[in-house]
Amino acid sequence: MTRMQKIRSIFVAIVTILASIYMIVEPDDGLITMALILSIALVTMGLKYLIYYFTMARHMVGGKGILFYGLIVFNFGLFTLSLSNIPKLYLVLYLVVINGFSAAVTILRGLNAKKMHSASWRLSISHGILNLALAFFCIIFVRSTSVVVYVYCFGLIYSSIIRIISAFRKTAVVYIQ
Amino acid sequence: MNIDFHYYATYLAAIIAGYSHEESSEIAYSAQFVDCCTRTFLTSIKAPLSAATTQSQVELINAHTDLLGLQDITRIWSSFHFLPQDLYAEKKWCTRGYRNKYRLICGPNGDLLAETVKHAKGKSLESVGLAMHVLADTWAHRNFAGTPSLVINNTDYYFYEIFSGDAGEFEKKITFRHSTSTPDDLNRSIYTNSLFQTSENSIMNLGHGRAGHLPDYSFIKYKYLPAWGDFTEIVKDNPSDYYHAFCQMVYAMRYLRGNISSFDKDTYDFEIVSPYEAQIKEIINKRQIDSCADWKALGEKISGNIIDDFDVYRYEDEYLAARKEAKDNTVLGRFFVAALRQKSMVTNKIYKSGNMLAGFSADFAEKGFVGIKDFKKLVDVATSRGEKHD
Repeated sequence: MTRMQKIRSIFVAIVTILASIYMIVEPDDGLITMALILSIALVTMGLKYLIYYFTMARHMVGGKGILFYGLIVFNFGLFTLSLSNIPKLYLVLYLVVINGFSAAVTILRGLNAKKMHSASWRLSISHGILNLALAFFCIIFVRSTSVVVYVYCFGLIYSSIIRIISAFRKTAVVYIQ
Repeated sequence: MNIDFHYYATYLAAIIAGYSHEESSEIAYSAQFVDCCTRTFLTSIKAPLSAATTQSQVELINAHTDLLGLQDITRIWSSFHFLPQDLYAEKKWCTRGYRNKYRLICGPNGDLLAETVKHAKGKSLESVGLAMHVLADTWAHRNFAGTPSLVINNTDYYFYEIFSGDAGEFEKKITFRHSTSTPDDLNRSIYTNSLFQTSENSIMNLGHGRAGHLPDYSFIKYKYLPAWGDFTEIVKDNPSDYYHAFCQMVYAMRYLRGNISSFDKDTYDFEIVSPYEAQIKEIINKRQIDSCADWKALGEKISGNIIDDFDVYRYEDEYLAARKEAKDNTVLGRFFVAALRQKSMVTNKIYKSGNMLAGFSADFAEKGFVGIKDFKKLVDVATSRGEKHD
């Protein structure tokens, strides 16, 4: 990770922690704000990957993966944006599903890292399992919106802390001679 | 390529080309020093930082991948380790951004290689060694670019090692892992490579990191799909490439020494090397991570002299002890001038091809001295030698 990437990662983590605290204090408004931030982030990221595909990655062997990734992320972003007018219960459920999906991807990444003998697999798998457990908790307490928000916020704060720790982790580069 | 080829094989090639033991040792030192001359080292001896010919792991991890950072990385890696083969290569239906990266793909026998060798003519032994490093790497690092790029340098799971047996050739799937602390497992074809990163300009996507150290092993023959190749399979025959590199080094050094009058691309001194062909090919084909001992033994046998082990600090005291005006006449001083000259030449060629990935290049003849002050040294050296500036 470069210095700029580290700074960006820490910045995103701090914003997420602040948003989580806001959600805990104001569970009703906080939920909508969180969904809005999430949707903007997903739309921006999706667009970035789509532009990257059409300008560069379409010539790359395996570049279609970038296109699909961009489309999925972009669609998730638009879908999240359309959820502001539905009952909060469904919004919470949606956020939980997104979190669960992200956790599953993290676990798969961790398993792949383990297969590749990378040292980062323990962190990835434990992060994924905890996120999955939190999503499961949210579903159990789905009738109490406040409890769900607290559990969800705890998950976000935990993820942000992991993000900050990751920013300080050494990343090995194959040295080219 | 590793120290075994850059130091010991280059020494042997210099001896075969007709250089003395002392001259060959200096050439070999400079050829290997290209892999050691980092900004960290330059800072420690207060040398011009623009003379950096490589970046350490720590420097790479902390490198900025903004516009200026990428230009700095590209200047270093394209000039010394991944010399572009064709700066005017065309690819249909691609954007300018993609084409600029595509044009930096390294390969042997390009116009820039001829320029590199001719640039070293009449210059110091350090210039010769540096040029030999660049030449050798055009063979080892072919098909990868000296700039961070996912769309050029990425590889996928389609990677097979090709073995020769009694019943002909057979293949074995190569497995990659990201454990840099674990040595490559040659018996099981398990090798270390860099992590897959979807970011185009990630440092992980610099050079041949995604193919691990495979290009650095002389014995290995493998096939894979390069990211830029439109699904065309490439067979990388390192034993053949390394032998070609060796014979081209002998040819280039005979030219630089004045034995022959011109340097032509795609020309090799196979005949002059033929008395040693069997021994050289035996070392190249031997399945081992480090072949220093074998190259050293052959070099000593042929030259009749003891080859000193490579010591990065061998000439440091000489440089530090020299007065300011005499530093350019030390081994390291001459190397730094050679490095600045090579970097300046390659950056200029890339810039003139309409490609800004290596940054701006100002023409001294037209604009006088502008830009990074370290490069003023080139003007001073040329002036002191009475050379014409251009």
